[in-house]
Amino acid sequence: MPGSPNNLPLISCRGLTKIYVMGQSEVRALDGIDLDIYEGEFVAIIGSSGSGKSTLMNMLGALDQPSSGSVMINGENIGKMKSKALAKFRNNTIGFIFQQFQLLPKKSARKNVELPLQYRKPKVTDSASKADHCLELVGLKDRAGHRPTELSGGQQQRVAIARALAGDPKVLLADEPTGALDSKTSEDIMALMQNLNAQGITIIVITHEAEVAAYAQRVVEFKDGRILSDKRQDAAA
Amino acid sequence: MNSLATLGLAFSSIIERPLRSLLTSLGIIIGVAAVYAMLALGEGAKKQVEESLNSISTRSMQIWPDWNRGRSSQARRSMPFTEKDIVELRSINGVFAATGSLTGRSYTIATETNDVSGNFMGVDPDQLRSGGGEMKMGENITFADIETRNPVVVISEGIQQRLYDNQNPIGSTLKINNIAFRVKGVTTKPDSNISFGNDDLFAWAPITVARERVIGGNRFVQNHVSSIKVVGDIGASLDTIEEEINIVLRRSRDLKAGAPPDYRIFSSRGWQQQAAEQTNSLSFLLAAMGAISLLVGGVGVMNIMLVSVTERTREIGLRMALGAQKNNIMSQFLTEALLLCILSGIVGLGVGFAMSKFAMDTMDVQLVFSPTVALISFGSALFIGVVFGFLPARRAAGLNPIDALRHE
Repeated sequence: MPGSPNNLPLISCRGLTKIYVMGQSEVRALDGIDLDIYEGEFVAIIGSSGSGKSTLMNMLGALDQPSSGSVMINGENIGKMKSKALAKFRNNTIGFIFQQFQLLPKKSARKNVELPLQYRKPKVTDSASKADHCLELVGLKDRAGHRPTELSGGQQQRVAIARALAGDPKVLLADEPTGALDSKTSEDIMALMQNLNAQGITIIVITHEAEVAAYAQRVVEFKDGRILSDKRQDAAA
Repeated sequence: MNSLATLGLAFSSIIERPLRSLLTSLGIIIGVAAVYAMLALGEGAKKQVEESLNSISTRSMQIWPDWNRGRSSQARRSMPFTEKDIVELRSINGVFAATGSLTGRSYTIATETNDVSGNFMGVDPDQLRSGGGEMKMGENITFADIETRNPVVVISEGIQQRLYDNQNPIGSTLKINNIAFRVKGVTTKPDSNISFGNDDLFAWAPITVARERVIGGNRFVQNHVSSIKVVGDIGASLDTIEEEINIVLRRSRDLKAGAPPDYRIFSSRGWQQQAAEQTNSLSFLLAAMGAISLLVGGVGVMNIMLVSVTERTREIGLRMALGAQKNNIMSQFLTEALLLCILSGIVGLGVGFAMSKFAMDTMDVQLVFSPTVALISFGSALFIGVVFGFLPARRAAGLNPIDALRHE
């Protein structure tokens, strides 16, 4: 059972603090966060802009390192890593989903999905078939040869999800995944994520929309760099 | 990410923007072509100069009495040279051949059935060597022939053809100025650079025989010769030889110290050097053009790569988020710049080759196409790629993935 205290958490933040220095003033984007996320959870991190949720996302994605405190993910301490190790860690452990999809416009869906596998060591020999398999998981098997410009917004985000899955990550990190989509498509995407979670994939969604957060089992609300609330809920269908 | 994948990435990035890539390449193409042409021309010029410096004609000096001097009343009439002068000149260090000849006018050279007008000369054995010619058949004039006044003659191939229809003439009798000569040998035409006009019809007799029985006259008595030709050894200093010649001739002609010489020494080495210098300056011009063009081309490559990095900031951020390391990004952009320069280099080599070929076909220049030349010009393109690709690649690799992902 995810969340039970006798399991080791997949992600563990202790006293996590991030301070940005802007000229004379200091901004505490994160201020002593303690947070555990267990394998198989579907967590929504919510909060208004400036609440620190994006900073947390950067920490959890190993894109940034804490000023003090620690972030342990899958047994590794993000704060102690060098640039090379961080890159390797991102490649092996994290699957990113972005608001703006971030697909390479001149490459086919398959090539886009293969992208994380290109940086994998040892070299992945069957990256094309892996990519096709991931596209199948998101229901785009027959669009593998299409370029992003030939796909709808929802389909593009599905390609991005397939790309996030391609590297077999420990956790999917989605930053406002429905921010650029209409409400019907948003529902489809969130249903897909819920479906993936049901298959055992840990998902963390950063959002400011309550409708999106409703799909998660757990909602952590941020305000001014601190956790305001941490609630478990019955996920929306 | 392995190097092959990086290469593929760079290649697709170049062909995804064909016009831009082509325009960027242009500077490099012109640069490499110019460098190639310059090197080919330079090598050609070097070879040509070497060849001409070693040729008989460049190593030759013609010495004539200064006949004009004799016409002015205040000066003593110029003297012909003597056979003794030749012997002394021949012993100068570094002299390949020294020959004195008696040049006659045109004579009728006749067999029983045929005749032709040809240049008849009295010579010594060195005449053959000094002209760069060879015996085609029979034998050359010898010192013994000169000593014994042997009435023999060496004829040119041209005479052999006209009078004997290319049959073997050795031993047959020729009449020159009604004097009978036995044909002793046939010689090839001398080095074409020193022959003037219709020079393939000539006959050589021992200088004593020619002087006493054919040319003679008032002017040439005893042991006189009309002109001298001195040829230096390959690599010998002609300036030093010329000084020695002056010493010998001034002593033999009894010239007082400081008195102007009553003879003149002609040599072609002056204008040969001039020609070499001209080719060198042309080479230099091309080199300067190539270097400037490569530099401008390199700046163009750098500029376009910087634009490319800025344009693709988000792509770089994405790649980093997906696990690309700094050196992956670095090599991606460096490879792209390098590949662009390599492709331009290949096209540039082609253009350079065509240009050089065209220049060689239409103008009187010699070019050398060597692998070294191709390698140097191609290497310069490679060098440009690395140097001017480095800064943009480093900028790309130094991007912060978070900022890069948010870049608009």
